Amino acid sequence: MMFRRISAMLVVALLGISIIAACGGAPSESDVGETTAPEAAASGQEAPTDAPAAARDTDDTQGPQTASKLTIGIWNTAGNITTYTIGNSWNDWVLWLSFDKLVEPSPYVSEAEYWLAESIEQISDDGRTWEIKLRDGVTWHDGTPLTAEDVAFTFVYYREGPANRWTHHCSAVPRMEEVEVIDPLTVRVTSAKPMPNFDKVTAADLPIIQKAQWEDVEEPRQFTDIAIGTGPYRMVEYKADEFYRFEANENYFKGKPLVDELTLVMIKDPQTMFTALKSGEIDGAARSLPPELLAEWANDPDIKIMHAPTLWGVWLDVNLGREPFNLREMRQAVSVAVNPDPMLENIMLNEGQSGLQGWPHPDSQWTKPDLEQPYDQAKAIELLDELGYVDSDGDGLRDTPAGEPIDWNIKVASNQPLYIRAAEMIVKQLAEIGLQSHVETLDPAAFSSLWTSGDYDLRVMEITPHGIADQDMLIILYKGDNNRALEPDPEKDAIVARWFEAATVEARLEVSYELQELNNLYPNRRMLWYPDGIFAYRWQAYDNYQPSSGYGIYHKYSFLPNESRGLTVSNVEE
Amino acid sequence: MYLRIAAQYVLVLIVTLSINFALPRIAPGSPLLYLVGEDVATMTQAEQDQVLREFKLDRPIVEQFVNYAVGIVQGDLGVSVRYGMPVWDVLLDHLPWTLLLMGTSLLLSASAGTVIGVFAAWKQGGKHDIGALTLVLFLGSIPPFWVAMLLITFFSAQLGWLPSYGAYAIGVASGTPEYYVEVVRRMIMPISALALVNTGNMFLTARSSMAMALEEDYIMLAHAKGLRELTVVFKHGFRNALLPIYTNVMVSMGHLIGGAMVIETVFSYPGLGSTIYDSVLARDYNLLQGAFLLVTISVLAANFIADMGYPLLDPRVRRPGVSA
Repeated sequence: MMFRRISAMLVVALLGISIIAACGGAPSESDVGETTAPEAAASGQEAPTDAPAAARDTDDTQGPQTASKLTIGIWNTAGNITTYTIGNSWNDWVLWLSFDKLVEPSPYVSEAEYWLAESIEQISDDGRTWEIKLRDGVTWHDGTPLTAEDVAFTFVYYREGPANRWTHHCSAVPRMEEVEVIDPLTVRVTSAKPMPNFDKVTAADLPIIQKAQWEDVEEPRQFTDIAIGTGPYRMVEYKADEFYRFEANENYFKGKPLVDELTLVMIKDPQTMFTALKSGEIDGAARSLPPELLAEWANDPDIKIMHAPTLWGVWLDVNLGREPFNLREMRQAVSVAVNPDPMLENIMLNEGQSGLQGWPHPDSQWTKPDLEQPYDQAKAIELLDELGYVDSDGDGLRDTPAGEPIDWNIKVASNQPLYIRAAEMIVKQLAEIGLQSHVETLDPAAFSSLWTSGDYDLRVMEITPHGIADQDMLIILYKGDNNRALEPDPEKDAIVARWFEAATVEARLEVSYELQELNNLYPNRRMLWYPDGIFAYRWQAYDNYQPSSGYGIYHKYSFLPNESRGLTVSNVEE
Repeated sequence: MYLRIAAQYVLVLIVTLSINFALPRIAPGSPLLYLVGEDVATMTQAEQDQVLREFKLDRPIVEQFVNYAVGIVQGDLGVSVRYGMPVWDVLLDHLPWTLLLMGTSLLLSASAGTVIGVFAAWKQGGKHDIGALTLVLFLGSIPPFWVAMLLITFFSAQLGWLPSYGAYAIGVASGTPEYYVEVVRRMIMPISALALVNTGNMFLTARSSMAMALEEDYIMLAHAKGLRELTVVFKHGFRNALLPIYTNVMVSMGHLIGGAMVIETVFSYPGLGSTIYDSVLARDYNLLQGAFLLVTISVLAANFIADMGYPLLDPRVRRPGVSA
């Protein structure tokens, strides 16, 4: 009897909870899509309709081209979003909402636009001295004008101050020797060695920071104020790990942004983020849709899916600092023994490009055309035999020339299930030619520590556009490789020395191609695949996104007036 | 006796604080790798030291320990590597949400587990007991994240009734009725997931201790005296079964501060659990030390309260030489 009463009470309690939940209605963020659509209609734009997926794919249905408010899910916190807190991540586009570069969109594309700069000219034949003329009338978010002092300060601060992901542009490649303010809108910079890529790489990657805000900041990673930029959005509120709120900069020199307010919410779990998008709690998810969800999501009438180049890559790192990988022929053998295509097919469901195209990213402006890292099992066997790595004890597995058994570890971060699968496939492929290996998973922080400990044979990991599509960064990576390598590589050293002395873009590119050829012949980075960026959004909330190479579809250019976007975006590919 | 107990607590505190300092540093990795990522491979030693200097992590380990110990006494836990903010500020930001989430779920799971467990023991062997036991064991064996994902899929994606992430509605003014409604709506799923899974533990404790109590001679005597069934069960049985249940609740209270790592992560709930998890990934030594300090103090405090409470619940504990 008592049990029945308790059961009845539980049922009533559950019903109560359900009613409370239902009475609350949809979350406030989901209202965004409903309120922006009529606004679009009122402004003369085509009103969104509940068209079937097939119709949307042909772009017959266009949603609003402006919005009063959008909520977008992000997944990686970055403190107060400064150059010292954001680093390399999928979220670096958030930084660019507030900050601008001299040239945009990035160093990865062949065609770019002057942005904060009106012109950038090489004024010495040796490629060491450049003059930057700033656009007049650009203001910071606090209303003060952008001046040459700010640009000069940025260069010096990055050269002298604590290191971050961008500082190498001023402290190493290139190393800026002299920075002079010529007049309020002109800066002259001279480097130790030629910097023919200054306008295409340095200027296109370096965010300009405000002197007044940063000149007294000695510990920039403890600086928690809202950063003042010149960008199209001004951060008005943030709570690290929870949300960022941005308001449109009405005085932006490229025109008032098309979305008045952006709220970026932190949703760490991917499934929760995509559920929030499905349910309308958020209007966009700034992380790539897993390929296995693509078919299901393509049929959702409220969702549009856009492919966009992200310029990321997944690679097998061969440890230069450990025997036998100090032998270039061994690196070649490992490289040609690994076939990336089954990984692309089975893990990425063909949503990407094959690693056979080699390193760096095939879509980068700096990559040698027709580069390749071939798969050739017979060649691998031949190389291993020549190196003396044969089966000396008859157990079917190759041993070292000294007769020691081999069992290489392939380390992977435990939060990367796709890479673990790739590592398992590599184990099988190596086994086919008699090489024994095994997969070891580590927690992400322990995995990161491999950078300093060097305690691995092979590891599977990803690399950002910064590391895979930027010519100067290839040299920085080479320096890093050199630090870890067991022995010097005179051939590579000679090429890099010539690269530093090359005074023209063409000459540098030619030398860079040589380095790429050599790196692909004896790679310590065996590329596995280059993932496609697949981005989903609620088109009835806002439907004016455009891809930008290296950033996907979530970036400031998608919120700029169409006529201001220029070369920063590419055509839509659905 | 009280002096001895106090000395024990102080000793445990000192040992635990030392472990809290050492533990994050023993694990492979470093805050540097969180701060600069893969760029560490291309940085010079001087550049690396400069980054660590910002957080005083370039000092010798002994100096770091002394700073840590002095900081605790002075109430200064240092600056979080991950947030760039004083550790206290970060902890105080996240603590209320954890207390709200964990406290409510503990209240629910302890109440439900105890009530169902007591009645199951009362009707031991009957269909209701077996039914409850099966159901609770089934729920208790489900991983919390899976329950969470099911709830999100059903209540957020399918029905659209409940928000799937966060603890409050962004942009709604704090203190308004709408704000509180949103807080409650965002609590429902994480608390349900936690309560569903944790009820099993409370249920099993309550059921077994109640079943043992009901088999005691004094229960038989009470029946023989002709007392009402409810009086026998609750006045004589439940009161004597209370001690293990109380202990279980107090142990859970001690761990309450640690938060619910998985649930908070799945629901992007800004509690201490997910903060600790993220700090482990970032090897944020200062924040981990601070969070562990809070957890240590709360566990010790809960134990202390439990110790103090035993004599009130069970007069036998007050007698020398008799243990509960």
